Amino acid sequence: MPAAIPATRRPELSKPPLPADAELIPKLLAGDETAYAQVVRAYHGLMIHLARAIVGEAFADEVAQEAWVAVLRALPRFERRSSLKTWILRIVSNTAKSRLRHESRSVSLDDTMSEQPIVDPARFKSNAHWASPPAMWHADTPDALLASSQLRSCIDAALRALPPMQRAVVSLRDMQGMDMETICKVLEVSESNGRVLLHRARSRIQQAIEEHETR
Amino acid sequence: MSFMPNCQDVTKHSSDYLDRSLSRWKRLGMWFHMMMCVDCRRYVSQLQLTIATLKKHPKANPPPVSNEQVDNVVKHVCQNLKPDD
Ligand SMILES: [Zn+2]
Repeated sequence: MPAAIPATRRPELSKPPLPADAELIPKLLAGDETAYAQVVRAYHGLMIHLARAIVGEAFADEVAQEAWVAVLRALPRFERRSSLKTWILRIVSNTAKSRLRHESRSVSLDDTMSEQPIVDPARFKSNAHWASPPAMWHADTPDALLASSQLRSCIDAALRALPPMQRAVVSLRDMQGMDMETICKVLEVSESNGRVLLHRARSRIQQAIEEHETR
Repeated sequence: MSFMPNCQDVTKHSSDYLDRSLSRWKRLGMWFHMMMCVDCRRYVSQLQLTIATLKKHPKANPPPVSNEQVDNVVKHVCQNLKPDD
């Protein structure tokens, strides 16, 4: 019978707590398979989530597996300037980005630099005030919006249509609740570019909801 | 952006406003604009609702990882690490 775990450190159901990086890293370096399994159990889902956002459903599992090999190869050189989790996710991001470049040479990873406006300029008067302002939406809570399977597919389609880096930022920030500083480290973008990517992504999803909710 | 943003400025800075990453001065300007402009108030609250909806989206959570998947990854890693190390 294991000793009782203090309430503050009690793990989620069926998920044993992951030891601190300082305890975990030496075990991983020593090739301890139990430690491998612990770290894979803790981070693999999130790695697939991130890989999916960048490279799409079809290659996400492969990218995550490939990233694990890269992680354990590079681990002896890990300088611990960030947490192990951030560092692992950065490797996933890089693995996914190179996979994406390989799979579709022409695809542009992000469009931070594009001058495309957030809202169609035709919706503003010459003094930059609204000419066609936003209309009321039928639903006014997330649950009410998500109750419509049609709207859910509109949101999914809008997410799929985002440039990969926008999709990655919005997935990590708004869907995963990760902080922007970590996200920018993981995706290797500057804080200001990260914020631009996030706002563009959110605006496109908002637009998709608007089209559905005001028709 | 001067102190008082116009509606188009509001749409550009609305994420930063909601995430509290604008300077106090810009934040105040946005707040004043929205006090007076019902359209921008609606625009920003719809953006806020969009963010809240993404958070609750069924795909917001990473996929669950099965024991079998863990074993496969560990096996894959062990096989691929050996030749190089
Ligand atoms: Zn306005």
